[in-house]
Amino acid sequence: MMLKGIYAVVLIDLKRFWLDRARIAMGLLQPLLYLFVLGAGLGSSSRLGGGNYQQFIFPGVIGLSMLFTATFAAISIVFDRQIGFFKAVLVSPVPRPAIALGKIAAGSLQAAVQGAIVLPFAPFVGVPLTPLEVVFLLGAMLLSSTMFAAIGLAFAARFTSVTVFPVVSNAVLLPMFFLSGAMYPLALAPRWMQVAAHFDPVAYAVDLMRGALLGHFFFSPWLSIGALALVIAGLAWESVRVLNRGEDDSSLGANRVWGRR
Amino acid sequence: MRGVVKRYDKVEALRGVEFTVNAGEKFALLGPNGAGKTTLFSILATLRAPTEGSARVLGLDVVEQRDAVRRAMGIVFQEPALELRLSGRENLVLMGLFYGLGSAAAKRRAAEIIAQVKLEDGADRPAQTLSGGQRRKLELGRALVTDPRILFLDEATLGLDVDARRGFWAQVTALAATGRTIFFTTHYMEEAEVADRIALIDRGRIVALDTPRALKARIGGGVVRLKTEDDAQARAWLAEQKFETNAGDGDIMLVHADPAAALPEILRHLPVKVRRAEVHEPSLEDVFLQLTGRGFGGDAPAVNGRPGRGPGGMP
Repeated sequence: MMLKGIYAVVLIDLKRFWLDRARIAMGLLQPLLYLFVLGAGLGSSSRLGGGNYQQFIFPGVIGLSMLFTATFAAISIVFDRQIGFFKAVLVSPVPRPAIALGKIAAGSLQAAVQGAIVLPFAPFVGVPLTPLEVVFLLGAMLLSSTMFAAIGLAFAARFTSVTVFPVVSNAVLLPMFFLSGAMYPLALAPRWMQVAAHFDPVAYAVDLMRGALLGHFFFSPWLSIGALALVIAGLAWESVRVLNRGEDDSSLGANRVWGRR
Repeated sequence: MRGVVKRYDKVEALRGVEFTVNAGEKFALLGPNGAGKTTLFSILATLRAPTEGSARVLGLDVVEQRDAVRRAMGIVFQEPALELRLSGRENLVLMGLFYGLGSAAAKRRAAEIIAQVKLEDGADRPAQTLSGGQRRKLELGRALVTDPRILFLDEATLGLDVDARRGFWAQVTALAATGRTIFFTTHYMEEAEVADRIALIDRGRIVALDTPRALKARIGGGVVRLKTEDDAQARAWLAEQKFETNAGDGDIMLVHADPAAALPEILRHLPVKVRRAEVHEPSLEDVFLQLTGRGFGGDAPAVNGRPGRGPGGMP
């Protein structure tokens, strides 16, 4: 039942994602703005130089796109459990952990797709793409998007209203992104930022993707893989715990944590 | 249900609820907003656990044997529980997957249900393009994915027009005829009348449970309704004559053992002009009013020792 449940959650979320093709296309706009407008502007005054700077931020821009896609996908659980198809799912025999793991898997795939559609723009910023690099990059992207989806679900599982999403976005996601070294080399950043980046899972994701694409790492790739796996496991466990706790009040755990009935 | 209590912090939503629904029965739960209907429904639907007491569905404990209960029941919620951008068929197939069917079995079951609820016309259109009545059929079909032995319907026809409601109930009645147990809540009195038995719930307690006929017989007579040119004066006169009347939103209502005989006397002697007078059988809301002092719509005060009728209460 667990695997069938995960499959069913992934299937419905991917169907919904595909139905929202306009959003997929619009989701391309933000990374392209970062890459070709912000990248060109900041690059002209960067020590790396314009072209090199755009090349440098390319993996970070993919990370940004995936981070927000994965989080947005997870947020759907907030209104799903109140109104919509998932209200019926909650009275089916699908185990709550299957819902959590299915949501993470579906969010991860959606984010990976959203990130992958940025890849064709790589040659325009001078990023070489050999088949081997693409394979390594896709692996890093999948690991990263799974971690982003786990972050999204860990937050979404606790909320009873989607209105908190902008708060999470500004208070949590953006600081994580800014600290990650996506837009600047961590090696040249102030010491305190380098230390902080060690506690930022987004930094490991961006560094792993950058290393796969450009060949230079700030963290050891094995450290990044280990850190991402650890964060995924921790957040998935936490989400399952919260959803299980909501078994008796149809909330998937959210209202108990936040004291709402 | 046995001694079911449900507390939210200091609020007791259910206070020792006890009743049994017989297999194959159509059982209605009636009560005003805030009476505890939703909480009681949620407990039976395995979405909430009782604070005290126990609830069993088909002999299965709703907490200890939650998954078994979920496999054996179907639920139609008041709110839509469909993915409206997908077709009816896709919704049913997906729900089949959630109940553990394989892809092929889920497709077969979806086709069977579409035929059963007579939704062939709209089955392959996005659910959002279906009429209200068709969507309700689809919701009913979704609840049938497991071929349940018991169906829970929570205000399932709210907002539907009369024809759509009639069509929905025709299908529910057909399902009941196959031996399924139907447990439902509704705001429409005429829908409650189709129940074999009705439980009236108020402030977290079952205040009456019986057949519709037996409940109405508790009133002990019939109901006289009057509309006069001066209701206040009419009420005062009726009180002097020892008639017990309700407070209300216009009409004067009084219960009498023989209303057909009483009405001519009242009309003859009432010192104000009567615009409209009618005699009717007691309704379920009249019963609720008599038992609780409240209408289904609110807390109108009692007058002359008789309970009040809440604003918006149904005749």
